[in-house]
Amino acid sequence: MSRDDSPPTGVRVVDVRLHLLSRQVLDVDGEPVTTVDDLELVAADAPEDGRRDAVPGEPAEVGAILTGPVLLTRLLGGRPPASRWEPVPWSDVGHVGTAIELTVQADSLDVHWTEDWLREHVVGRIPGGRHDPEEES
Amino acid sequence: MKRLLGVALGILTAIGGFVDIGDLVTNAVVGSRFGLSLVWVVVVGVVGICLFASMSGRVAAVSGRATFEIIRERLGPRAAGANLAASFAINLLTLTAEVGGIALALHLASSVEPRLWIPVAAFAVWLVLWRVKFQVMENVAGLLGLLLVGFGVALFLLGPDWGELLRQAVPPSPPATEHVATYWYYAVALFGAAMTPYEVFFFSSGAVEEGWTAKDLAQNRVNVLVGFPLGGLLSVAIAACAAVVLLPAGIEVSSLSQIVLPVAEAGGTLLLALVIVGIVAATFGAALETALSSGYTLAQYLGWSWGKFRRPARAARFHVTMVVALLLAVAILMTSVDPVAVTEMSVVFSAVALPLTYVPILLVANDPEYMGEHVNGRATNALGMVYLVIVVAAAVAAIPLMIATGAGS
Repeated sequence: MSRDDSPPTGVRVVDVRLHLLSRQVLDVDGEPVTTVDDLELVAADAPEDGRRDAVPGEPAEVGAILTGPVLLTRLLGGRPPASRWEPVPWSDVGHVGTAIELTVQADSLDVHWTEDWLREHVVGRIPGGRHDPEEES
Repeated sequence: MKRLLGVALGILTAIGGFVDIGDLVTNAVVGSRFGLSLVWVVVVGVVGICLFASMSGRVAAVSGRATFEIIRERLGPRAAGANLAASFAINLLTLTAEVGGIALALHLASSVEPRLWIPVAAFAVWLVLWRVKFQVMENVAGLLGLLLVGFGVALFLLGPDWGELLRQAVPPSPPATEHVATYWYYAVALFGAAMTPYEVFFFSSGAVEEGWTAKDLAQNRVNVLVGFPLGGLLSVAIAACAAVVLLPAGIEVSSLSQIVLPVAEAGGTLLLALVIVGIVAATFGAALETALSSGYTLAQYLGWSWGKFRRPARAARFHVTMVVALLLAVAILMTSVDPVAVTEMSVVFSAVALPLTYVPILLVANDPEYMGEHVNGRATNALGMVYLVIVVAAAVAAIPLMIATGAGS
């Protein structure tokens, strides 16, 4: 879109810095998943299996929400290798509001592994770790 | 009737929960050195915490977003990360002071060495965090904290010269023996003690824990606007007791036993016992709040699931964070550091970190995307701007004053 194109009416303009980056991501049940640490841009209109990196001068779209080690490099500079990215595919995003709402469950996402690991190996093993605090005990 | 009871309970817990080890120590120290000449700072601090606590509670109730999520979202990863590092460190310092405070109070009651009480106190704090329902936890600590009213009772029993106390307070007339820089150093400390950032982290996250919606806003406002000022009165009573007994005797407060000396003198063992229970409850409640706040801040910055309303296994990283914070607090205390000295440090550093927390709250409270029709009114914003200036001034002045006065000595 060139600079003086005003958006067509009825289309919501999302400011990446203001409305996406650093927003809370919630899963389909409203459980917090992560925060948007960075975004991956891919070439627009690429076939689903043949994803290409975005090329300057050509249309690009958001491919995934990135989290994990990306936060550190956003703070300190540099870029982690793609193998260390922890992506949430943009296709899982259902709604962008004051939080980003996903259409899948947190447990099904790879980015959730630290939480899952601590749950299985530490917190879930302490007596009472799976007790619901809102229930009468 | 049930509704009225709910309102009363909310107010009472807000009063009992207002005072923590920071308020206790700083007010007693200030009272014993400056009389009531710094009472105006308590007033300024209480108005400020009312303003920002109710604002952060309103943001959380309307948008469902707690304070540190907002800080991250508005300041970005870098500035929010700096705020997180500072807030987490100060929070840890405050947690250390609170756990130390529990141990000191139990030591007063039992004469068992405080260092033996420290692990017991920390374990008890963890057990409550692990198991007890959020609302039960808040109400019990708050209601028992009300026993600090004993300081007010003691003040009346002491039968002070009220005219003299009033003369110290308005216009503020510090004793001629104290340097003006020291006066302002303690003004900043007292301000930091009243406005400690953990209170807004806790307050806004607590609104999410209790599932507040826009409908609960009236209750929120009453709790804060009635409860906090009455809690502030407890602070003033502590300072006044020190001003009446310790100032003329030339005793400078450096331990908890000196803080409760006026109570023992006025009301004997019974009142002392009640006040000690009050101190244990107040510091225990604040230890819970600061431990939770350490989990809240980190989890909200990184987007983890958090909250006591979830099963611990559903907020695993949050619970691990709190355990680590508690273990660190115990480790710090086990070096035999004086909890009272830790407290004095923590309130001054709190003052330094204030702007980074209060600016984003003010911004988001004006953002219709979050707040809809509940954005700040004009009067709130005007007051918010005034406090922004005060908060920045206190933050800038804190460290230079600390160096210039040798931390108030």
